[in-house]
Amino acid sequence: MVRFIHSSDLHLGKRFGNLPEDLRGRLREARHTVIDRLAARAREHGATAVLLAGDTFDTETPAPDVRRQALAAMRHHAPLRWIVLPGNHDSLQASELWRVLRAEVPDNVVLATEPEPIALEPGVTILPAPCTTRRPGRDLSAWMDATATGEAIRIGLAHGAIRQFSEEAAASDVIAPDRARRAGLDYLALGDWHGGVAVDERTRYSGTPEPDRFKHDEPGRALLVAIEARGATPEVTPVETGSFDWRTAPLHLLPPDDGAAMLPALLPPGPQRRQTLLRVAATGRTTIAARTALEAAIADVAPEFALLDLVSEGLATEIESDDLDLIDRAGALRQAAEALRAESLDAARSAAEREVARAALVRLFSYAQGAGSGAAS
Amino acid sequence: MKITALRLHNVRRFAGRGVAIEGIDDGVNVLSAANEHGKSTSFEALQALFFQPHSGAGKEIRRLQPYSGGNPLVEADILTPEGRFRLTKQFIGGKRATVTDLGSGCLVAQQDEAEQFIAEMVRGGASGPAGLLWVRQGVTGIEERSRSDEEGERRVREGLLTSVQGEVEAITGGRRMSAIMEACADELGRIATPTLRPKAGGAYAAAVDDLERLRATEDKLRREVDDLRSALDRRADAARRLAELEAPEEAMARRVAVTRAEAAIQQARSHGEALRTREAEAALARSRLDAAEKELADYRTSLARVRALGSEFAEAAQRRDVLRQRRGECQAAIDAAAAEAKLAEAGQREASGLLARLDAAMRARQAAEVLQGRRDRLAQAEALRQRLEAAEATLALVALPPDAIDRLQKLEIDIARLRAAEAASLPSVRIDYDEGVAPSVLADGAPLAGGEDRGVADRLVLTLPGIGAMTLRSNRKAGEGDALAKAEAKRRDLLASIGAEDLVAAQRRQAEARTRAAEVERQRIQFDHLAPEGLPALREEVARLEAVAPEAIEVKGDPDAAREALARADRRVEMARNAEREAGPALSRVHEAATEAEASFATVSGEISRLDALLGPEPDRAGRERDLAAAQAERQAAFAILDREVVALRERAPDLSSVEAALQRARSAESAATGEAGRLRETLAGLNGQIRTQSDEAVEETWQETKEALETAEARVRAFETETAVLNRLKTALQDSRSAARDLYLQPVLTELRPLLGMLFDDVTVTFDEKTLLPQAISRNGQEENVDRLSGGMREQLSVLTRLAFARLLARDGRAAPVILDDALVYSDDDRIEKMFDALHRQARDQQIIVFSCRQRAFSRLGGNLLHMVDWQPRG
Repeated sequence: MVRFIHSSDLHLGKRFGNLPEDLRGRLREARHTVIDRLAARAREHGATAVLLAGDTFDTETPAPDVRRQALAAMRHHAPLRWIVLPGNHDSLQASELWRVLRAEVPDNVVLATEPEPIALEPGVTILPAPCTTRRPGRDLSAWMDATATGEAIRIGLAHGAIRQFSEEAAASDVIAPDRARRAGLDYLALGDWHGGVAVDERTRYSGTPEPDRFKHDEPGRALLVAIEARGATPEVTPVETGSFDWRTAPLHLLPPDDGAAMLPALLPPGPQRRQTLLRVAATGRTTIAARTALEAAIADVAPEFALLDLVSEGLATEIESDDLDLIDRAGALRQAAEALRAESLDAARSAAEREVARAALVRLFSYAQGAGSGAAS
Repeated sequence: MKITALRLHNVRRFAGRGVAIEGIDDGVNVLSAANEHGKSTSFEALQALFFQPHSGAGKEIRRLQPYSGGNPLVEADILTPEGRFRLTKQFIGGKRATVTDLGSGCLVAQQDEAEQFIAEMVRGGASGPAGLLWVRQGVTGIEERSRSDEEGERRVREGLLTSVQGEVEAITGGRRMSAIMEACADELGRIATPTLRPKAGGAYAAAVDDLERLRATEDKLRREVDDLRSALDRRADAARRLAELEAPEEAMARRVAVTRAEAAIQQARSHGEALRTREAEAALARSRLDAAEKELADYRTSLARVRALGSEFAEAAQRRDVLRQRRGECQAAIDAAAAEAKLAEAGQREASGLLARLDAAMRARQAAEVLQGRRDRLAQAEALRQRLEAAEATLALVALPPDAIDRLQKLEIDIARLRAAEAASLPSVRIDYDEGVAPSVLADGAPLAGGEDRGVADRLVLTLPGIGAMTLRSNRKAGEGDALAKAEAKRRDLLASIGAEDLVAAQRRQAEARTRAAEVERQRIQFDHLAPEGLPALREEVARLEAVAPEAIEVKGDPDAAREALARADRRVEMARNAEREAGPALSRVHEAATEAEASFATVSGEISRLDALLGPEPDRAGRERDLAAAQAERQAAFAILDREVVALRERAPDLSSVEAALQRARSAESAATGEAGRLRETLAGLNGQIRTQSDEAVEETWQETKEALETAEARVRAFETETAVLNRLKTALQDSRSAARDLYLQPVLTELRPLLGMLFDDVTVTFDEKTLLPQAISRNGQEENVDRLSGGMREQLSVLTRLAFARLLARDGRAAPVILDDALVYSDDDRIEKMFDALHRQARDQQIIVFSCRQRAFSRLGGNLLHMVDWQPRG
């Protein structure tokens, strides 16, 4: 009987250069503290070890504080053991990183830098497949097939794609999807994919414990794995570890829809908002007024969120004659609006020109709203 | 509204008095007066009445007051659709304003109410804009004016246009439009320059700067990361290689290889030493063998040679003797031929001497014969000469002068002619004797023949026998018979000179002379034949021939025989010489051969004696040859032994150069390994430093961060670009539509203005300024010109016309207002002024126009109602 936490892709030290300055610090901090959360989940569920299946560090040269603080946090959670596998981001090619880690590593941390069995505890053997370089170009887990470990529970630990859904798009060095069967593994703990995937009953991607992008649209989790004995089917339970939620909320609109009114339903309840990065992905068609209202509503509620964005590339704005009336019923303003509208619909013009004309019209609309009613006179 | 009268008192130059302008009519009214007559004063008073509050104390009002003080009073009668009113204002002291209905005489309003009445009338009030349209001297309405005036007029114009065209707000978008345009321009101006470049200090520029900075940083970091990665790779390679190099078994293998190669080279070197020694010994034996072989061969050769030379010697001796004999024979033959030649030459000399003598004798004979001939000819010539001289002398005696005969004949003819003439002119006398009577009458002593006329020259004495002497006289004038007498005298002289009696005798002599001359000629020819070059030459020739005449020689012999003997002798000499020449070459050939034979004989005998000395005495020769052969065989054997040894050694010798190369390779492998290990350690140290530094700086994290920031910055710049384009598009659209609206708005004025312009200018269109609603630019022949660039004349004309256009617009709207022009046409020439007046009159059909002008003459022609100022005192 062995019970451990399977996690991967901590990407410690990731800096989020494309996000606002203050949010960046919070996100980095959340990545660091995920070590504590993993340890807490382990203790809660009686696990004795945390298996990190690669990409613990975001780069081959993490800043010394990132490295040292990570090791310090792990040491702090002794006797919990940490098995750290080199991934593609922190491969063995980063010899300096691993050299320094070896020098600094505390007793309860095992650096799985060699493809050779590691006895996790009596009767439990870990077969690691450390990434030798960023792109090894071969299946590093192949050695597991021919390595006998007696009656011990065999746990494979590897990092990389099993299909073409790797984080690094064009990976040719895929891990055999049936490696667990071929190598007689009781469990194969995989890393690299930031969302959790159950490949089969013995093969899992844990996903990242702390999300770092919108792509996967799920909370940060780790896997609690319990294996009764050699050959038994592992019992796998996801446990929540994430601090920030990265979500994309689709919003499909048709002209009568009031996007601003539909927005609240998409938003998480109050206190969660601070820990939520939310993208409202609007699609479909809408009117100027509705669009303006939606934008205003989003701008209104945005400060409550860690990040709230409207993604409106897929949202077409229709301009009605009512909209033009809202600008002015007649006169020069109306003429200008008509001219811009005609230009935005003029198929003879380039898409860019039409888009500029359309945006100018929307802008005129918003200015007109700001300048008060025009139809009064 | 129309003004019918204007009165003022105590205004400016009219201190203590007043003037009135009465009877202002519809149409064009002209007040034309010289300067300082109060035109401008009237104008300003009128303006003050309408536009200055009576209670005011401003500059405008104080200007109305005369220097001497007093209270300016202005009064005007007006006609409006509501009726006729009198407006009165007094300023400064006793301030008041009143409006009186002239129809009823009632006071309609006073003080502020009166002001309001007036203001409504000129500015429109509730019923919309009306007003007076002023054009002042030098104030063309386009130049700078006080802001309030400007603004007031603008409002009038705007109000007017609004009333005809609709609310300006409604058309141009008005304040909302302005606010939106302002907001748009403001927003655009915050981020972009007018040329849509990022504006310095703006957010757009900051984003662009950010982008640039991030690009540079990203680039730098990327390179650093690449450096780091490459350093890591190189370190891994270097470490691996160093481990390989430093493995102990590898080092040992390299050491052993070197030691082995060294031993091999030692062995190879000692073998080489032994080989060289044997080779030297073999070479010595070989050279000794060579010497013995040579000696033996030489001896044998000499023996053969001596044997061969024996027969050669005999041959040479024989040949020498034969040739010696042949040479003697040849010499003898030559000597015989030379003797024969000498003999033949003697004969030849003799024969040629005889022949020469015979020739000399013959030449002497011929010379003597020639001399004799010449002597004979000389004698004949001398004789002939004597005869010729005699004949010539004779000829000279009978010869006549060549023309004597001719002259004589001519004289005869003259005389005959003269005589005939004289006979014809002279008195003549004729006697005819009676038959039978003998001529007895004598004339000058000579009988006078009868029957013939006889001339009487001077006097003729007829002797009449029997009767007496009768003298006849011709009584000619003296000289009348001179010509004849002269001719006869000349004939006498001539005859005397030639010694002839008469012509016949002369002719006879001439014939004789001719005969003699012919004889002389014949003898001369003969003489010339004998002595063609004259006698002296002939004599000289004779003398020369005598001098050179050879002595006569007598030689016996026949010249032909002598010549033949000489030819024979010549042939003999030639034959003898040829024989001698033929023998010469034979001799020299024999001589050469003999010499050669002598030489070869000497050579052969010399060589024989040399070989004899070399070979030694004849009997020992065979023994000596045997000794030499034995020595040669012995040395041959010694050499063969040594040579075999050398060959054997050579076959066994190791290849030193390959042994050396092997050592070289082993050593270099060892030292290369050592060197490389050293270098690798150095490299590793360097890389370690670099990697540690860069790792500690977390360059990769920074790079990632910068890359993401860069993407954000790019998106932001793109957003700004879009924003700029959008705002600019909106701004343009707004400007365009507002301009179009303004044009529409101004259309009525332009419509009114166009025909007026047409009266003054050809093909001119006017653009109005949107703000002032006044002309801004004109366009002539497609050329746009700003109004303030135009000439003063054109500007004031344009100004007046614009006001007229506005006035028409007002009138059309049922609110006619007077147009008042105060010296408004100062810059215009008379022609233009006339045209302007045409325009004014055209306008004045439904419009009151009041013109104040100092240009009396120019304006007097213009027609219209002429106004006059008259003294006026206000009542009460």
